[in-house]
Amino acid sequence: MNFDINTIIYILEILVGGLLVGIGVHFVPVGGAPAAMAQATGIGTGTVQLAAGSGLTGLLAAGLMMSVTDNLWLILASGAVGAGIMIGSTMLTGSWIYAYAVGVPFASAKVTYDPITGFSQPPYIAPGTVGHGIPTVCFVSGLIGGMMGGLGGAMIYYPLYLINGNAALSAMFAIGIFLVNAVIASWNIQGTIEGFHDPKFKKWPFAFRACAIASILLALASVLITGGA
Amino acid sequence: MSVGGGGGGAPSAYDPKKLRMYGLVGSIVGIYLGSILNSALNTEVFSFVGAVAAIFAVVMGANAVRRVCAYGIGTGVPSIGMLALGMGIIAVMFGLSVAETMGFGLLGPIITLVYAGVFGYIIGVIANKVIKFNIPVMEEGNADLSMAGALAILGWSFAVSGTLGYADIVNDVLMTGYIAIIFIAGGLAILHPFNACLGPDEKQDRTLVNAIMVGGLAMVATGIAALMTQGLAAGLLQLIIGFALWYYFFKMYYKLVKRDAAAVVGTGLLPPTVQ
Amino acid sequence: MDAFSMGLVAAMGALATVAGASEDIESDVGSQSNPNSQVQLAAQVGNPHRIYNKAISGEPPANALWAATAAIVAYTLITAFQMPALLALVAGASVAALFNGVFAMSSYFGRNASQARFNQWIYLDIVRYTTPSIMAHAWITSFCIATISYIMVYMLPTPHPFPMPIIALIWGLAVGAIGSSVGDIHYGGEREFQNRQFGCGLNTMLSGQIVRKAEAGLRNSIDNAWFCTKFGGPATGMGFGLTVFLDNWRTTVFDPVTQASYAIAMGLLFIIVEVIYNNYLEKSMRRKYGPYPEYKGDVAA
Repeated sequence: MNFDINTIIYILEILVGGLLVGIGVHFVPVGGAPAAMAQATGIGTGTVQLAAGSGLTGLLAAGLMMSVTDNLWLILASGAVGAGIMIGSTMLTGSWIYAYAVGVPFASAKVTYDPITGFSQPPYIAPGTVGHGIPTVCFVSGLIGGMMGGLGGAMIYYPLYLINGNAALSAMFAIGIFLVNAVIASWNIQGTIEGFHDPKFKKWPFAFRACAIASILLALASVLITGGA
Repeated sequence: MSVGGGGGGAPSAYDPKKLRMYGLVGSIVGIYLGSILNSALNTEVFSFVGAVAAIFAVVMGANAVRRVCAYGIGTGVPSIGMLALGMGIIAVMFGLSVAETMGFGLLGPIITLVYAGVFGYIIGVIANKVIKFNIPVMEEGNADLSMAGALAILGWSFAVSGTLGYADIVNDVLMTGYIAIIFIAGGLAILHPFNACLGPDEKQDRTLVNAIMVGGLAMVATGIAALMTQGLAAGLLQLIIGFALWYYFFKMYYKLVKRDAAAVVGTGLLPPTVQ
Repeated sequence: MDAFSMGLVAAMGALATVAGASEDIESDVGSQSNPNSQVQLAAQVGNPHRIYNKAISGEPPANALWAATAAIVAYTLITAFQMPALLALVAGASVAALFNGVFAMSSYFGRNASQARFNQWIYLDIVRYTTPSIMAHAWITSFCIATISYIMVYMLPTPHPFPMPIIALIWGLAVGAIGSSVGDIHYGGEREFQNRQFGCGLNTMLSGQIVRKAEAGLRNSIDNAWFCTKFGGPATGMGFGLTVFLDNWRTTVFDPVTQASYAIAMGLLFIIVEVIYNNYLEKSMRRKYGPYPEYKGDVAA
């Protein structure tokens, strides 16, 4: 086990990957159970579930790319794009249901004017709810969050594969590190968040510190693991 | 999603310290017993002992989920199960690999246990101090969860591969992909019991019997996997024992459900409201 | 890129669409995941019901379990017993469906038994005729996802390096996340509360007041699934189908070794088109539906 400058770079890469995952979870607009009843803005699912779904799809794309090339940037980009497509399709088809099946305009109760399009929000919020649907700011925030998750997953997988050369081992490890960071970040969110315009978003430094500590410990453990040939 | 239990801790008939001890001792002893029997008698028939050992760990984990989630942490029960398994798999790979590189292959489970316990405890400390949960049982609950996840994965990996050697486990469990079912079945075995019995009248014995039942089901899955890695004899033995365990504890679960429910009827109209 | 691999990608897209639709209907028949919180709440506010309370876990871990089970059984049969692939996948899906039945029953029994103080009864006829429907949909979902994983590992020209069960695990997590985000809104926001006015979100005053008395007789989960197959199921299928198809189409058309940057640029193009479409939907809804008449504030619409 040679402990040289490369090992330090690998540890840093895993650390950055874990931080990207943890902070990316804060960008994804998750409304939880109320959003599934059109009672709150955002996607109607749990934070960890959506982060895991999108980030691991990105990991899948990155894994395929890594088997044919060595270029770090291509691998990271394909991981981000894979996760972005997944979360974009999810939000888009969710928007169809909100628009045509439930019949509600998209509005958020946390801001008066949408930061990106400038549409006014309060007149379009149904009485007794705190918003519904996925307005453009939530959509863009969700894309950013999903792509950060995919990027983080790819960035965790890349050094692991270079260390032990075993795709299955690195994949399971990446899944494990991904889930630990995603769950810690979701503890910080405490249930629901609407994206970067939500006042809850300002709590991200807590998750940053927590994910950093967890990722450093996991990175130190991972670099000591061999490929078992 | 975490409605239920009292606000300040779930009532327990079985002392959590006793359950933790039974869980840890039962699973570690079981894994070592299976490994020693297998290597001493040069056979693979005793791999099922590892799967039974994993059930001990699962029961400990399900109880830890009960204790932690009764405080309402805001994210719901499934995330906790995923966390336990995420922590567990890293601990298992780390423990086995380090033991092999150091030359003491048999020390693998102990290193796994120690790393899992320490790491789980640190995550609990992070949750309380950095994220500011201030839940009293968070540190030991997280340590319990992490150790339960790690020992469950270790037990079932041993059941699929037949030895505790790192190279064998990587070959039989990881390269084939069987780690996927061990991971997710273990996660569901730890989180499903409390999630399935969530409600104001949740009783600890019903939840823990549910955990053993799901553990038996996971053993059926590892039995199918062992059909390929260890041959017909070992695989079929695991399958049959797993099925028997599942059947016995499902019947016990149904008996407890009939004991606890308001009424179990063949059919009927809506019950009268009690308010 | 050749006709065979394009055909495979098309097959994967079609399988993914079917898997997404059946996953959503399975979760609607059993009332799993987020709308289940209302079903759980209903008994506590005085509305005991005959809806199937299937709370296995969230949808992603549950679907990951069915998909992974189908994949390992199929993998074992293909590698150790040299069974033809299609037969092995069918056997794998059957085992996954049996597991699903066990979990579904255990959660119905457990949740209703833990609500004994609200006089929520356990109906054995509900268990008897709803559980097979749940199992059948789980069969379809796990078969489709296991087949997608099989194609990705054994049949595509650039095979995927991960083993087949791990790929099935990841797609299971993805289909569960998509089903939970898309189809459950149709069930929770529309069918569960059909006794209120159309065109608005659920008022918090109505929490727990789910529909218990149906068009003729008492509402049960099969009625709910009948409604959700009209729109929620297919929309979820579109969501998962788009994900699988678009992701694999760009890496098959553009060879990943030589033209990787084109594949990434294509993916970014898809994402930008999705943003523009969502913005169009938002503007169109605001124009067609207009502001709520109850709004008394002074922000201009």
